[in-house]
Amino acid sequence: MSTSATNAGLVELTIDGKLVQVPSGTTVYDAARVHGIAIPTLCHLQNQTPVGVCRLCVVDTGARVLSAACVRPVEPGMKVSTNSEKVLAARKMLLELLMADHPSPCARQEHSGDCELETLAKAAGVGTPRFPRRTVLRGADNSSLAIAVDHDACILCDRCIRGCDEIKSNFVLGRMGKGYSTGIAFDLNSPMGDSTCISCGECMVSCPTGALTNKGVVGTAIAAGRDAQSLTAEELHKLPVFAGVSGTFLELNRGAILKRLYRKGEVICREGEFGSTAFYILEGKAQVAIATPIAHVKTQGGAQGFFKQLASVLVGREQDKREEEARDRTIPIDASVDLSYGNPVAELAPGDLFGEMTCMNFYPRSATVRAESDVVAFEMLRNVLDIMMKNKTFRAQIEQNYRRRALETHLRGVPMFAELSPDFIEHLKESVELVRYAPGQVIARQGDAADSFYLVRIGFVKISEEYPGGELVLAYLSRGDYFGEIGLLGGGVRTATCTALDHVEVVKISGDDFRQMVERFPNVRAGLEAVAAERRAANAQRMQMVHSVPIEQFLAQGLMEAQSLLILDLQKCTRCDACVNACADAHDGVTRLVREGLRFENFLVATSCRQCRDPLCMVGCPVGAIRRRNSLEVIIEDWCIGCGLCAQNCPYGNINLHPFETMAEDPAHAGRCKAVVQQKATSCDLCTHLKEPSCVYACPHDAAHRVDPRKFFAGMMSSGPKP
Amino acid sequence: MRIDATQRGWAWLTLGIFLVSGGVYVLYAVNAPAGPRGGSVIGLAFGIVGFAFMIFAALLGARKRVPTWRLGRAQAWMRGHLWLGLLSLPLILFHGGFHFGGTLTRVLMWLLLITVASGLFGAVLQHYVPRMMTADVPLETIYDEIGNVRRSLREEADHAVEALCGSLGFVKRDTAEELRAGGFTALRPIAASSVPLRTSAAVSAGASAAVAAAPEVVLLNAEQSAPLTRFYLQEMRLFLEEPLRRGQRLGDAEKAKSAFAALRTLLPAAAQYTLLELEEICDEARQLLRQERLQRWLHGWLLVHIPLSLALILLGAVHVVMALRY
Repeated sequence: MSTSATNAGLVELTIDGKLVQVPSGTTVYDAARVHGIAIPTLCHLQNQTPVGVCRLCVVDTGARVLSAACVRPVEPGMKVSTNSEKVLAARKMLLELLMADHPSPCARQEHSGDCELETLAKAAGVGTPRFPRRTVLRGADNSSLAIAVDHDACILCDRCIRGCDEIKSNFVLGRMGKGYSTGIAFDLNSPMGDSTCISCGECMVSCPTGALTNKGVVGTAIAAGRDAQSLTAEELHKLPVFAGVSGTFLELNRGAILKRLYRKGEVICREGEFGSTAFYILEGKAQVAIATPIAHVKTQGGAQGFFKQLASVLVGREQDKREEEARDRTIPIDASVDLSYGNPVAELAPGDLFGEMTCMNFYPRSATVRAESDVVAFEMLRNVLDIMMKNKTFRAQIEQNYRRRALETHLRGVPMFAELSPDFIEHLKESVELVRYAPGQVIARQGDAADSFYLVRIGFVKISEEYPGGELVLAYLSRGDYFGEIGLLGGGVRTATCTALDHVEVVKISGDDFRQMVERFPNVRAGLEAVAAERRAANAQRMQMVHSVPIEQFLAQGLMEAQSLLILDLQKCTRCDACVNACADAHDGVTRLVREGLRFENFLVATSCRQCRDPLCMVGCPVGAIRRRNSLEVIIEDWCIGCGLCAQNCPYGNINLHPFETMAEDPAHAGRCKAVVQQKATSCDLCTHLKEPSCVYACPHDAAHRVDPRKFFAGMMSSGPKP
Repeated sequence: MRIDATQRGWAWLTLGIFLVSGGVYVLYAVNAPAGPRGGSVIGLAFGIVGFAFMIFAALLGARKRVPTWRLGRAQAWMRGHLWLGLLSLPLILFHGGFHFGGTLTRVLMWLLLITVASGLFGAVLQHYVPRMMTADVPLETIYDEIGNVRRSLREEADHAVEALCGSLGFVKRDTAEELRAGGFTALRPIAASSVPLRTSAAVSAGASAAVAAAPEVVLLNAEQSAPLTRFYLQEMRLFLEEPLRRGQRLGDAEKAKSAFAALRTLLPAAAQYTLLELEEICDEARQLLRQERLQRWLHGWLLVHIPLSLALILLGAVHVVMALRY
């Protein structure tokens, strides 16, 4: 990751005569880059920690010696020259020295013509080096099936090592030897094919020369089909979005990116289907929609409920909202827009990317995309999307689309932000940072200084707190959720650890902007403080429960992870299924409980949602349909697309998919609807629309009870069962 | 439902009403010039109250049809059904002065007696049978699923035997396994029990910690596997397919134990684990059989109680009309 600036103030300096202002801690390289001044480099990559080994980025700061811009922090009043005669002469000498040992043309230059060293040398006017070639060859290593190693082309820039360590966390590559025999090594200098290398290709992609190249043996390819075209690297480089993407990489991954033509009306991808590709629209427009949320009908039982139910069917969506729907809700999907709940349809245009979560994290497609006109789109696999997202041009365009189309909706989606003025929203839209995290990467650690507020754009974030003996998961957050306010409003210290569960991108609002916002909008502050207080209280309660768990043997069965268990006293239960019938009656004929499960002495723990402390079911929902309110119950919203991920994730089998009849547009006859069967996930919601769970209320034998397992089992162990 | 201390309040109320009404009846019967009659004021009062209790008791069926309607907890309705239903008998006897009367009233009295008796019988069953089922059937499953579980046990046994003895023509090798998203799983009791825990089609990951790792199964030759093959084809598979058939020794726990003990001596060491598995499958099949029988006892009496009670209400209404009009 590039060096991040602190928020301790701005520094003014001059670069090539241009007065610039950057946050303190910024490197000269980054300061020049953000102001459009390019400094050549060989060892520096934006997403890696700078090390300053190649010295190609040297600049004149007026000091005794030239400084490597990638590691030199700016200072107030600094005068930097990036292209003085002295600097240019130093660079040319460096390039000439490097070229002297470089087997020109190397494999990369031969293949795709974009060896960075040879390109820079040519641009600097380096011809045939004056210095003799090295006589001691470091050799080649062709032991890997996927990657060819030419040690002689290696310039020891260290990019591959940092790529392997920092980006992929595989820690296979390192340096070995001294002086002229220094080289890169795999593990303890094993041949690459015998090492623990997993052939992810990050080293190859990071390498600026032909030292690490793809052997083209292991090929990935999307199934082609008609109207699909594989393009060469040269053809792809003609498109602006591929500017700067390694030609070697594109050439050797031809099968991983295809140009497709979709005719008007053709479905590009369908909601609920599993996939592994993302789409980038080049031409044409596409409609993105979720097919038919079931209804806004609030399922209720009882004589009063019948009339309410009838009224709910007859009135429009806007007139019949649940209590918590005080604001307009949106359905988060895997595209640069979100869908309005009342009308879940939107349009995608050229430059839009969709399917990112499916591609990176293999989640099911979150919506159906249909071509509104003839659409030309790129379909790409994860390795290509990964590289594209590291490419500045492509990334900038995606970010711009997001800022323009969805960011405001996300910001307004935070209930307290609804009151922000349009000018402040515009300010936030420009000043927020979009930051990506790899799976497992810690976004903020418990105890660290709080300096930012985060809004989740894609992926899932785990919020956990440490206690002696382990870690307690407090929540899982997905697109549209936010975190970081407790630390900023409280003592300035993070109270929990926030970890990326998969490929996560967050909207990061700096602490300064956050403080400015709460000062300028007192209502926003009050709202955030209220939420923070609620979260703190809920977290404290959970932590207290963890500390007072008395029964270790139930931990292995997962019972103590539950906050609410449905238990049946088998000595009273006559197996009449009144509980099951009542549950079905309260939920449109589909029962949410099964009268089977774990047994402890004379009690049966029925298969029904346990309202777990660590709700694994929530991880991965592509449309954020499964969520928890501020109390216990886990609910599944109407717009569930029936992908089944939550059902698979639940370790207790408490979520099931059921078919529901609904009406949907008939694609064969425009403007007409037809009855379809749609799968939806169902789970016990504790009958929150009624005072008491229906199963408990309807049991004629006093056998069914919803209990807090901690209290119930602890009481039972000490003095007998107390349901 | 268990008749326990929580029903004390209802019991006292019932006893109180009985004693009061009994006292009133005695006074009335002693002082009535022509003896106690259903048509007298007090007789009518007893009749009306008794019939009202019967109607309330009958409404339990209707209450169960709308389980989520907030009309009072189902438990309260059930207790009312039990105690007030019981009370209706002495009240109607007081109403009729312990005379059965004409044809209609005689039929009504017998209906009432049988209905109350069947209800008492059912209450006793519902008090004891759940406890028996809990104790005797630790591997209980949902009643409607017994057929499926039995089929799964049969398939598991087929696999176990064929893995040891070679193909017997039962297992289809290329059958793809289907995985359902979610769905319930039958889990083992986690408290210590006398039933040895084992892996079967009915066990989920929740009990995996209690199951020992299975040793490798070696294929026996024809001579070695003959006793097991014969036993399986002639006895065990039939038992798993038709457990209710008469004369099957595997249906009796002690006889099954002896049968497996004898087999154990005839088979080599390599077959012992499979034999243990088969024994456990038989045990589970016996438990399912036991569950079926207990379930029938638990609910079978309703086949008498419900129709008779409906007839009682209908004919009672006829009696009311006839008695008041004529």
